[in-house]
Amino acid sequence: MLAQARGALAEPFFRYACGAAATALLCAMGGLCILLAIGGWPALSTFGLSFFTSTTWNPVTDVYGGAGPILGTLITSVVALLIALPLAFFTAVFLTEFCPQFLRRPIGIAVELLAGIPSIVYGMWGLFVFAPVFAKYVEAPLMAWAAPDSIWGKIFTGIPNGSGVFTASIILAIMILPYIAATLRELFLSIPPRVRESAYGMGCTPLEVVWSVIVPYVRRSAIGAVMLGLGRALGETMAVTFVIGNSHRLPRGLFDSGATISSIIANEFAEATSPMHISALLALGFLLFLITFAVLAIARALLGHGHGT
Amino acid sequence: MNDFAGKPFAEAYVAQQPGTNEFEQFVETIPPESTKVDIRGLDFFYMRNQALYSVSLPVAQNAVTAIVGPSGCGKSTLLRVINRIYALYPGQRAEGQVMLDGQNILDRSTDLPWLRSRVGMVFQQSTPFPMSIYDNVAFGVRLYENLHKAELSARVEESLRRSALWEEVKDKLETSALGLSGGQQQRLCVARSVAVRPEVLLLDEPASALDPISTAKLEETIVELKRDISIAIVTHNLQQAARVSDHTAFMFLGRLIEYGSTERVFNNPRTSKAADYVTGRFG
Repeated sequence: MLAQARGALAEPFFRYACGAAATALLCAMGGLCILLAIGGWPALSTFGLSFFTSTTWNPVTDVYGGAGPILGTLITSVVALLIALPLAFFTAVFLTEFCPQFLRRPIGIAVELLAGIPSIVYGMWGLFVFAPVFAKYVEAPLMAWAAPDSIWGKIFTGIPNGSGVFTASIILAIMILPYIAATLRELFLSIPPRVRESAYGMGCTPLEVVWSVIVPYVRRSAIGAVMLGLGRALGETMAVTFVIGNSHRLPRGLFDSGATISSIIANEFAEATSPMHISALLALGFLLFLITFAVLAIARALLGHGHGT
Repeated sequence: MNDFAGKPFAEAYVAQQPGTNEFEQFVETIPPESTKVDIRGLDFFYMRNQALYSVSLPVAQNAVTAIVGPSGCGKSTLLRVINRIYALYPGQRAEGQVMLDGQNILDRSTDLPWLRSRVGMVFQQSTPFPMSIYDNVAFGVRLYENLHKAELSARVEESLRRSALWEEVKDKLETSALGLSGGQQQRLCVARSVAVRPEVLLLDEPASALDPISTAKLEETIVELKRDISIAIVTHNLQQAARVSDHTAFMFLGRLIEYGSTERVFNNPRTSKAADYVTGRFG
């Protein structure tokens, strides 16, 4: 009897408290999504498909097309991923396979600290330190080297002032690198020691162990880790706003200035006075929400399935 | 010389050396030409903890040597020295000599992938790689030999036959190895090791996670393999040691206590510790 009475009060309360917290979270997300959709509806219904294809962004005439920032968001995120992924992979492999014991903790902590630095610090560093150096020693020489009509000439078009799509991508890469590296490291560590031992026991070299056994073992989950990094790159605001140059047109090349959805919103929200301008920004926000949601959903689906083939 | 098992032993009583062994010890010797791996005065350390104390033990050519003893006596540690798999972990080190065909594999200059291609290992829990059955068996072969497709397939079949798995998997070689049962996975791991044609095979409690039928199949495989492979097996199962092995080493607290022909160690143990253990009085 005593055992039954114990917890008769606390247990239901505990259960409802947990349920309420989770439900509140779900409602907040749903509400946010609905309000973004409602707020963005005037812009989406007025401009229709041209909201996604036009690059006209004119607050004076109240005509808005988001192709520039939409494309800018996708390009910067994907380029950032292409830069960060190999670095993160090598970092994680080093930490799990080669790193001497006494260096494991310091490097591991450094990776985690890198993830904890506020993005505005990255932005300031990018604008004041990185961009001038990058313009002088990378952009200018590359543009001088690439023939204007060649494919390289087209890729490296822009203004060599350090602000542009590529600079933003590099800053983003530095920011998502620790996320991907830390997740990959956890995945590598999750492999049972006996699997590594039997691979080494077959006479594999470390490269063969990593490539033939460890990577296949964590492939699916690793894709999830990459998608989480991509999700963060898509939504990053302040660091990008500092260095991307903030131009509404389509970037002509990697060194050209551009914009991302989040940088446009950060720049213009305070000055948006006409209802259509606000609606256009909300519509962009809704779009970013959908893109990020899709990426995270894919990541979750991939992470959710166990190991291997 | 290849059929060493069963020949009479030259018996020798190893005198107790002060400071190295405080236990009574009885170790038979075998002729040098029948010795594949000769472990001499091996000490092993996990960081500062010593796990093996001056262990000297031969692994006979083309025969099965069983290493038995209570939990924590250093059996697995000893096995893990022979292919230097312990070297994956910083803080573990071995001192002494482990001679493989007259060459000390504990030398810093030993090429570890080369050593491990000659000394294969199968672990307590099966560890199929996340790939097809065929690719699992071909895995090690592809690392070392550049075989044509037909030769490779022949090697895969031969290895699977030797490990008594061929009949069960011949129609599904391209399916994932992770779909096999536990016993099949373990025999697959044996096939994977055998495929690279090692000279020595180390088995670390290979049957402890298997049901009796799978265990029996695995034991048949072990006996078949010793035709051309020298085998060392760590086991908790004394009946298993008696069934498959030609020589038995009994270890206790990191020391080698008794070594000799399996028949003699089980029927007529000379040390009190070994006698207690094989008669089930402790361990």
